[in-house]
Amino acid sequence: MGKFIVLAALLLLPVLIFTIVRRTGRKHPAGHEHGPAHTHRHIGHKHGGMLSIDYFAYSSKIRGWNPAFKVVLSVLTIVLCIALDNVYVSAVVIVSMAYLVIAAGGLPPRDYLSVLTIPLTFILISILAIVVDFSAGPVGQWHVHIGFGYLYTTAPMLKKGVFLMLKILAAVSALQLMILTTPSSEIISVLRKARVPGILVDLMNLIYRFIFILMDVFARMKNAAESRLGYRDFKTSCYTFGSVASNLLILSLKKAGAYYDAMEARCYDGELLFLEEEKKADIKVVIPAAAFVLYLLLLWYLTRQAV
Amino acid sequence: MKKKQKIALTVSAVIALALGVVPAAGAMHIMEGYLPVAYCIAWGVICIPFLVAGWFSIKKTLTGHRKSITILAMTGAFIFVLSSLKIPSVTGSCSHMTGTGLGAILFGATAVSILGIIVLIFQAILLAHGGLTTLGANTFSMAIAGPLVSLGIYKLSKVLKINKHVGIFLAAALGDLFTYCVTSVQLALAYPSAQGGVATSAVKFLAVFAPTQVPLAVIEGLLTVVIIFGLETYAKNELTEIGFLKVG
Amino acid sequence: MKKRILKADNLSYVYGNGKTALDGVTVEIYEGEKIAVIGANGSGKSTFFLNINGVYAPTSGEIVFRDMTVNKKTLNELRKNVGIVFQDADNQIIASTVKADVGFGPMNLKLPKEEVLERVAQALAYMNLTGFEDRPPHYLSGGEKKRVSIAGIVAMKPEVLIFDEPTASLDPINAMMLEEVLAKLGAEGKTMLISTHDVDFTYRWAERVLVFCNGKIIADGTPLEIFQNGEVLRQANLKRPAMLEVYELLVESGVLAAANAYPRQTQELKEVLRDSKVILGDPA
Repeated sequence: MGKFIVLAALLLLPVLIFTIVRRTGRKHPAGHEHGPAHTHRHIGHKHGGMLSIDYFAYSSKIRGWNPAFKVVLSVLTIVLCIALDNVYVSAVVIVSMAYLVIAAGGLPPRDYLSVLTIPLTFILISILAIVVDFSAGPVGQWHVHIGFGYLYTTAPMLKKGVFLMLKILAAVSALQLMILTTPSSEIISVLRKARVPGILVDLMNLIYRFIFILMDVFARMKNAAESRLGYRDFKTSCYTFGSVASNLLILSLKKAGAYYDAMEARCYDGELLFLEEEKKADIKVVIPAAAFVLYLLLLWYLTRQAV
Repeated sequence: MKKKQKIALTVSAVIALALGVVPAAGAMHIMEGYLPVAYCIAWGVICIPFLVAGWFSIKKTLTGHRKSITILAMTGAFIFVLSSLKIPSVTGSCSHMTGTGLGAILFGATAVSILGIIVLIFQAILLAHGGLTTLGANTFSMAIAGPLVSLGIYKLSKVLKINKHVGIFLAAALGDLFTYCVTSVQLALAYPSAQGGVATSAVKFLAVFAPTQVPLAVIEGLLTVVIIFGLETYAKNELTEIGFLKVG
Repeated sequence: MKKRILKADNLSYVYGNGKTALDGVTVEIYEGEKIAVIGANGSGKSTFFLNINGVYAPTSGEIVFRDMTVNKKTLNELRKNVGIVFQDADNQIIASTVKADVGFGPMNLKLPKEEVLERVAQALAYMNLTGFEDRPPHYLSGGEKKRVSIAGIVAMKPEVLIFDEPTASLDPINAMMLEEVLAKLGAEGKTMLISTHDVDFTYRWAERVLVFCNGKIIADGTPLEIFQNGEVLRQANLKRPAMLEVYELLVESGVLAAANAYPRQTQELKEVLRDSKVILGDPA
């Protein structure tokens, strides 16, 4: 019983920390966001919800936070999750990241979970391969005979599987902090600051913009094909999909030329210069974040024997 | 006996859940958090020479034809969009192409390595597929190993004078299968089996992913043939326009 | 006498595939002119625009901006002073936020950051886009995208503004908004060239019309001159504006006196009708 209370307290501590953060976050109300967020909700889902993450990032209430700070916090948390490999750390990260994105960022829990479960197939299948092993003889606590040998598992293996799953969920949660609150254009600007070669950053900026252009074109071509029964059965679907895709490529190459002309018309001279404005890293947010990281380290240090 | 039944039931339930309920069956992106730190770094380091080669080739292309920046970017965006589209499926589950083979055949392996890593970053931040710490491992399997095999088979089938469309099918399908094998080995190296070591573990990963990955490879091969067929019919000019990307 | 701002002298342009798009185009453009450029698709309008903005280098002939003959060195001077708003905003908006896109041109002009910020704020206010700064273009409507693409050019403060088929794919409200913007720019004395298929718009807005056909300018004159020239209309496959037709019908049928009023807008027609009450016969 005592153990549970301690555990619960441990889990809730970061939530407490981030409540303070949330208060600070509220001091920068992205007021103008409320209107557009509503009017554009359907637009965000227009692409079959495929790029809903992008939409969530733009409507996040903590979008105004310094992007470099969010990226660093997120990456640092991911690294701590996998380097410390500690189940308590994993649990704390899962809870606190969810809290931060949902409570401070204002993302509906349902949407948060829908993104968190995207890698579920991969997690389940790959963990299945880890918790079950082959053997010639009947070993382990549980086993089944499968012709030439035995499939077996043991309690430690199951435990390892569950812990691994928690670790992955924690790392994914930490990644979510970044992707659900920071638009990609801002993440790319952080890469530029981190001295990633200019050509790569330019390419990323262009690719990010072009992705949406192509999605739009594709949606229109697909509807046109659908209206002409292009998806009536599997064989037709394959043919239609291939034709639409090759058309999309042709069209994107034509657009590439038009885009280059438009860039040159605005005096583009071999270097993509975008206006980027510095969002100040608020000390009231940075300090709790640092405390959170230290807390994770402390937690690992105190429990490293227990696991 | 009862225990056996129980575990058999659980195992089948998990498989059914994984294959049936969960919608996405795309390429095998290794998730964020799956690999221990040492493996993240190691795979990243292995990618470096390929990426450097790709970077120089792209830089050369860009100094030669400045206009190719938008073409390269459109190409990258195209690969991303292609890989995020729901492809036709017989089972009703939702799966995606990787675009690896198509990219390699059209644009060459060097350009695809750089575009590939960018696409993988966008898949991580826009689709939550894959991750940042596993970027090295994913880049190696999907943007380097797969395309190289695809391109190799494509060229080989040209030399052997195999029917062009069969060659393209084999290049795309086998490239996909190879990616899936590399990923399985990557997983096995990080999580070797207690008894059989890396080899047993690799067999296990291959086995559990086979139901999603093998049909996917076949469909990818078919679709790649249809796409290239369409391009050849309608866009000879545009194809020569991207020709220089292949040379670089 | 107005000052000449731009001159194209015997301009020819041949595409890489050997297709001649411009064939000896000579034209002089004066400060503050409002010019409509009309002609069928593929008649060379867009190629002409890309040439006088310096994106395409003419195969032969030359372009003179004010007193400067354009060459490789002065190319950027031309691009800076002649801005194009492209037909499809989705072929022009390059950055991932409205602010960054509107700032793209000014950044390329290598202006100090404070000035870029100021120009962006001004251009956004001008296009009624204040509050849209951090919006990504992919969550904007068609009309909003058009406004962003215009703001991106306005922020560069060019002396000559070119609009390539600006009203294509705009809904009536946005088309009206566009005409208001054009009026605002006109009041500031900007020189403007607009390509369009809308003869009614041409008739009510333009002071001068250039008619393109197969890479040549086949007619250059006031809207009235152009639309009364049956030969030009036939050659360029153009309709006559409804307002002109109606006015001439009214004159023909004797409702209006055969005066040379030629109203261009509904309001002007109203005035003409009111002034000719005598002929109509006052109902009272």
